[in-house]
Amino acid sequence: MPVDYRRQLIRLIEQHAHSEVMGALPEGTWITRAPGFKRKLALIAKVQDEVGHGQLLYNAAETLGKRREAMINDLLSGKSKYSNVFNYPAETWADVTVIGFLIDAAAIVNQVANAKGSYGPYCRALDRICYEESFHLKQGHDAFIELATGTNMQRQMLQEALNRWWQPIMHFFGPPDKTSVHGEKLMQWKVKMASNDDMRNQFPDAYVPKIWELGMTLPDAALQKNEAGRWQYTDPDWNLFFKVINGEGPCNAERMKVRKWAEESGRWVRTALMSHTAADMLPVA
Amino acid sequence: MMNNDSLDPRVNRLHLSDAAAPVIVNDGENWNIYEVFHQEKRGAHHEHVGCVHAPSPQLALVFAKEQFGRRKKCVNIWVVRSADIPAFEVEDEDMFANNADKTYRDASGFKVMEKINKYKAQQRGEK
Amino acid sequence: MQAAITYLLTKMADDALILGHRNSEWTGLGPIMEEDIAFSSMAQDKIGHALGLYSILHEQYGTPDPDKYAFLREEKDFRCCHLVELPNRAYDFSLMRHFLFDHADALRYEYMAQSSLESLRPFAKKLKGEIKYHTLHANAWLTQLSRAGEDSYGRMQAALDECLPLALGMFEQSSFDTELMEAGIYPGEEKMQAAWLERIYPLLVKCALNMPVPAEPVNGGRHGFHTEHLGPLLDEMGAVFRLDPAANW
Repeated sequence: MPVDYRRQLIRLIEQHAHSEVMGALPEGTWITRAPGFKRKLALIAKVQDEVGHGQLLYNAAETLGKRREAMINDLLSGKSKYSNVFNYPAETWADVTVIGFLIDAAAIVNQVANAKGSYGPYCRALDRICYEESFHLKQGHDAFIELATGTNMQRQMLQEALNRWWQPIMHFFGPPDKTSVHGEKLMQWKVKMASNDDMRNQFPDAYVPKIWELGMTLPDAALQKNEAGRWQYTDPDWNLFFKVINGEGPCNAERMKVRKWAEESGRWVRTALMSHTAADMLPVA
Repeated sequence: MMNNDSLDPRVNRLHLSDAAAPVIVNDGENWNIYEVFHQEKRGAHHEHVGCVHAPSPQLALVFAKEQFGRRKKCVNIWVVRSADIPAFEVEDEDMFANNADKTYRDASGFKVMEKINKYKAQQRGEK
Repeated sequence: MQAAITYLLTKMADDALILGHRNSEWTGLGPIMEEDIAFSSMAQDKIGHALGLYSILHEQYGTPDPDKYAFLREEKDFRCCHLVELPNRAYDFSLMRHFLFDHADALRYEYMAQSSLESLRPFAKKLKGEIKYHTLHANAWLTQLSRAGEDSYGRMQAALDECLPLALGMFEQSSFDTELMEAGIYPGEEKMQAAWLERIYPLLVKCALNMPVPAEPVNGGRHGFHTEHLGPLLDEMGAVFRLDPAANW
């Protein structure tokens, strides 16, 4: 396996794993307040799945030779990144429904494409993840519809959440192809199977009509499908995107603090049962 | 009760440190790795589905049950430490390369009908 | 009899709901990913058990529908014990609480599976495997952490010292007990407590953990007297639902 291919694969899979683990935090915000049994159970199960996805992805990256401890350390030190979208706050219950519906939908666009890539262990992890994401999307859509077809207060809550999340969702697919640092090489190696701009175009096709049909709006007056079938939209603020990546988003500090708390508070459990022969082990692939 | 000005009431109950405070997970803190095999019904093969990090075989089973058996049908799970699985190196794949050529190991390598038909044709010719 | 059965099922369901809620606070924040997943599943199971019992109550004994009963009821009408109300603190506390509670829960459902109250039996039988996993998980953790060096052993012993009096509060008696016993619905809390001690004692011995003596039970929950933690928990749990209880969420 070429050295550079291995390195880029580790970087990509590891970032994906970090995103799952950090993604558990914004949605976890509403775990103790989810309204009613059905939502409460589904939200816990969903956040649990995100942790499970992180677990599968770290395992896939470990088959390439980097241990999970090292990946976690790179997350905690800021050396390795995670998806920007999780540095935004989930202000109300409606935000959870928007994340569950639209962020998970965006993630599926990305993951379904990459599941056909060239590295088997990553693709296998993605297959399982996509299967579970379809539950996330469905439960998110269901909770979203409940608000959209509900009382005025519920609709207003939902509209405000949509307004907040639209730009982070457009950012979600990554910087424009012309400025993407790793994109071309990753596509050549069949690690990344669709370009950022292609995915950003594919997304509105499937989901914007589902938002509009419920009488909800999106905060971009320019958003429309042109005659050639391509979606037109206002370019999201890429300066903001890079600012958030570099730590200046509204929740970067909190997410990191909470993740560090989790590692620190669990340390005694891990250390107590630590085996001294474990240090050089990796999964088989 | 703490208050970290988070929107998450759970987070407001934690004693958080500074985001910049260094936290390092030591090598080995995530324990051993166990490969997990699940069985969909009694009598079926146990199939490899992934791995779990665990400090003992007992907890590996406990963890694998939820990480790999919480949705689809599953009746049993095996776990085995990754380090206890002997395997060939990638570069040794060439040892398997000629398998498909060795037709004497395969039913397709024996053209029985061809021989019978040839014999029958011969018999007809002699009559 | 209706009041007695409502009391019994409500206290079991309230325990499950509140403990499941507390345990779900670990989701995404657990000591290691694999355990995070396992513990989260069991939190879901507990909340599911509560839902199952509230549904039986609603359909057969006339209580409000499960969402309204759980998310709108006043604190004084909750029948959960103090053990399940306390905030999580460290993982040792959560694990010990889970161990002590789930062995009692396993016993409760074992009796329920043979109860004279027919409507409970299939529900109790259905949960058997789930609860078996919960106790397997609790036993595995307890035995391993108790044998993993001084610090870890000390934590588990301290957690037991703290939890045991609270756990005895699970068996607080009430004026309904005799009625339930005589009807063959439930064997009574005195008998339950004895069976529970018999079950956990050998496990604690295996862990070299010492029963704190004397341990006076912390009672009150079964009669609607709660810790200062339950009120805020219920306010938090109902925060969105109560924005408009008539709306669908």
